[in-house]
This record gives sequence, structure tokens and C-alpha cells, in this order.
Amino acid sequence: MAYDKPIPRQGQHNKPFWEGAKQGKLVLPHCLDCNSVHWYPRLICPYCHSDRLDWVEVSGEGTLYTFAVQHRLAAGGWVQELPFVTAFIDLKEGDRMQTVLRGVDPNKPEDIKIGSKVKVEFEQANDDTFIPFWRVVEQ
Amino acid sequence: MKMPDLSYRAALVGACESDLIGYPGGEERTIRCTSLQLHIEAIKNVSEYTGIPISEIDGVFSAGWSSELAEHLGIHPSYIDTTSVGGCSFQIHVRHALAAIASGMIDTALISHGEAGWSYRGMGGRGGGGRGEVSPAEEATAAYGIAGAPAQYAHSMVRHNHVYGTTPEDFAHISVVTRQWAMKNPRALMYSKETNPFGGEITIEDVLNARLIAWPMTLYHCCLVTDHGGAVILARPEIARTLKSKPVWVVGAGESMGHSNMVEMEDFTATSAHRSAKMAYEMAGLSPTDIEMAMIYDSFTITAGITAEMLGLAPRGRGYTLWKEGHAAPGGRLPINTNGGGLSFNHSGMYGMQLLVEAYRQMSGTAEDGVNGDPGKQTEASNCIVNGTGGTLSTTGTLILERD
Repeated sequence: MAYDKPIPRQGQHNKPFWEGAKQGKLVLPHCLDCNSVHWYPRLICPYCHSDRLDWVEVSGEGTLYTFAVQHRLAAGGWVQELPFVTAFIDLKEGDRMQTVLRGVDPNKPEDIKIGSKVKVEFEQANDDTFIPFWRVVEQ
Repeated sequence: MKMPDLSYRAALVGACESDLIGYPGGEERTIRCTSLQLHIEAIKNVSEYTGIPISEIDGVFSAGWSSELAEHLGIHPSYIDTTSVGGCSFQIHVRHALAAIASGMIDTALISHGEAGWSYRGMGGRGGGGRGEVSPAEEATAAYGIAGAPAQYAHSMVRHNHVYGTTPEDFAHISVVTRQWAMKNPRALMYSKETNPFGGEITIEDVLNARLIAWPMTLYHCCLVTDHGGAVILARPEIARTLKSKPVWVVGAGESMGHSNMVEMEDFTATSAHRSAKMAYEMAGLSPTDIEMAMIYDSFTITAGITAEMLGLAPRGRGYTLWKEGHAAPGGRLPINTNGGGLSFNHSGMYGMQLLVEAYRQMSGTAEDGVNGDPGKQTEASNCIVNGTGGTLSTTGTLILERD
């Protein structure tokens, strides 16, 4: 079945991210001056305002910062998945990403623990797009 | 940087609503208001209320509408502001208008809002103006299905529950108390079962058992979506003193922002209101313990709870106690959202204008239903803090108003 959920637009500014994703790697913008990684991709480092940026592969590990269970509102094909758990992930290397959280039961939100260890995985949406999702691996 | 002291340099001299508010035309939408219509009704009303002719307004402030409004009114403003940062835009407009008046550039400022949140629900609003390009932040988060404000704000309540040991039930008290205020305000959509099938008294159990929107938030943790328009006029003291309407003084004002997209929100239990409030308190020479009334944007119960903490009205993690312990309720020491709030009065999408209108009514002693719902009985509070929150807990504007 074709992927029916929103597929992010790709452009020059985020090409390395999507190329990495295709190979199952989480690749993020990295500042050559202050050594921090950030997400989403910027034209300038949000920490030190250097424009000397490159891309690095990161561990794909993080912790669950917070979550919610969507029961009513969803974009595109996500409507068919209601209820589902959305979450924000603190990356091991710093900064934060958003996700639909995997490995959890949306009907048992009290069992989902903030601080749980999570790992990234990728789902193919089309030939060029493998979308990162995070899965709880250890509470 | 030290902020200049602009206390008492301008007054709110009137604040009026549009003629139609709530669900005009009912569920069937037999009437469809336009946002422009709501603007114009409110502007006409505030002009008549203050006695300031529309032709004498020299600054126009709105969330993206100023050129269209000025053209529609046939006026040629000498100060134009279109700051559009969500529901707090109007608190920020007051601050900008205060600066423009205090600097001597203008004498009078019109701040206007109209939003057909109900009439055009789901049909694309004209609240702030859109753009074709998608930001990198939107691109980065688009894949994950989050749609609408409750979907976002629920993450904040879960984090607050985790960090401070609070519960959705704690926040349910905000819904229940705010409804008590609405039951004293005949203009409130949820005034009674007669004004709306969901209106009238609600209990903690009602809040907890209502249908889930985004766990842990049920329907009653979320604001209404209605039509609403409002307009206020700010004027310099020499003018404010000569009008038939009463002045309400701006003694403190601040604005700040945290992020635009929630993925960049540093701490999901805090907003930039701690910074905007600090500016406002410093200008006013007041501290949180001096505050006697508050109008706090309650897009969701979590918004009001957190904001009370940011304004210093309660310790971190304990904002909800103002409602739970009855302080914010009718008869309490710190009345909050005396119109019934965005939760139970009206909420067009950007509620900040309604905060201003209610604060003006209370501080000018012109609330026709009185602060406790008793006709003729007005509040004894001498000041009111007003805090708008815009975006996804993003941008904030804080005002401290004082009665004449």
C-alpha cells in the first residue's frame, strides 16, 4: 500500500539528511566552530551563529522528553491511525526531534515513561524518502 | 538593558466587542460573519463609546489587517503596526502603541481584532495572514501527523505532570472555576444550558470524563472556537482626561518570545511570560504580590496554569492551585478570567483582544454584570495583570493596568 501520510519536502538545505536516512543513518547539521549538532537544518548555527556548518552521522539514540496521545486531530493519512502517540525526543548529542513514537500502546499512556531510552528507525515513504521514527527500547 | 518607564503615559480609553459574538447563526450557520465585519462593528462601537471619531484615529494596530482596515475606514494613519504573533498580538500592540504615544509620534491608537473562528471554521481563517513557503521547522515536523493546537499543547501538560507531579485533575479545576465565572456572564457562550447544550455548571468528573482530544486533555481542557471581534483605543493622558469614557492606565508592559515551532521550545513547562512579566513589573514598580486581578490567556488549562507560574502569581509547578484553592474563583482573593475565559466565554482563535476588553471593563468599573455577577457591583481590585500567549506557548505579551 502506498504511503498515505505527509511526506516532507526535500531541498538543497536538507539533502544530506535525506541521503543519510536512505542508508538508515541519522545525519544532522553540525557546527565546525562550536561542535554542536542541531535540528531542524539552519542557515546559521543557532548556538554560536557561525555559518561554517557540515553534516555528521549521530548515534540515533535519545530519551523521551514528553509525549501525548492524539485522539481526534491528525494530518493526512494519520487520521486512520488515531489514536497514536506523538513525542519529542532529546538526542544523545543534544537538541530535540519530533516523532510518532513506536513500541508503545496508545491506549495505555500511563505505561509510557518520560526518560525512556529510544532509538531511531526509518520507514520508506517513497523512492527518495525514508522518514525517521523513534522507538522505545528500554524504560 | 533597562526599560524606559512609560507608566501612565497612555490610557486605554475604551474597549468594545463586535455586535455579534459566539456562534452567530447557530450550528446551522444561518449567518456567516466575516472577520472584517467583526473588526468594523467593534471599531464603530469603541468610537461611539469614547466619542473619538474614527477620522481622528492616527495609529492603526492589528494582527495583519491594518492596511485593509484603514482603507475600509477611509483613514490615513500615521502609524501602522501589523504585529501578528498569535493570541498575544494585542497585548504587544498595546505596548507598541504606548511607545508610539509616549514618543510623541501619535495621540491616539486603535487596536482592532476580528476573527470569524466559528462562521468559517475548517474553511481557512484570515487571522494573521499566511505564506506559500514552508519553513524548515515545518518541513522537519510535517511527517508526524500533529494537527491543531490541542495536539501540541498536550505535550506540555504531560511534561508538567512528570516534572511537578501534577495531574490532569489538578488542571481540571481551571475549567471548573472558569465555568463558574461564565455562569455569571450572560454574554458567555457557556453561561447556561439554554445558551449552549454544553453550558452551565461542570464538575471535575465532567472534565475528566469528556471525550479525549489529545491525551491527557479532554474537550473541557480546551478553549472554544467562536466568532469574536474587539477594538480598544489608547490615548495620551491629555486626551484621555477629556473623554466621556473612563481611562484605565497602562502602568507596565513587556513582550518576549521563546520559539516559533514547538520542537524548539526549551522547557515545555515554561513560557517567555517570565521575561515579559519581569519587564512589566519593573516598569510598574510592582511585584506579583501586589496584583489584585488577572486576565490570563486560557487557550487550554495548561496554558493558564503555566502562565500563572510565569507571572509569579504562584510557585513553579503550582499555578493550578490558584483555581483549585478557590483564589481565582468568584469571591476569591485574585479573580482570574472574570468573563469566563477562552474556555467558557468566547475564543475566536486569537483571544488576546478579549483579555483586553474584559480587563478594561473591570478596571473602568463598567462591567454591566459586575465582577461577581451582581448587577451594579464592581470589583474592588485596583490593578489587573493581563497576559497573552501566542503560537504554541511561543510568544507572550504582559500588561499591568491600573484603575483611574
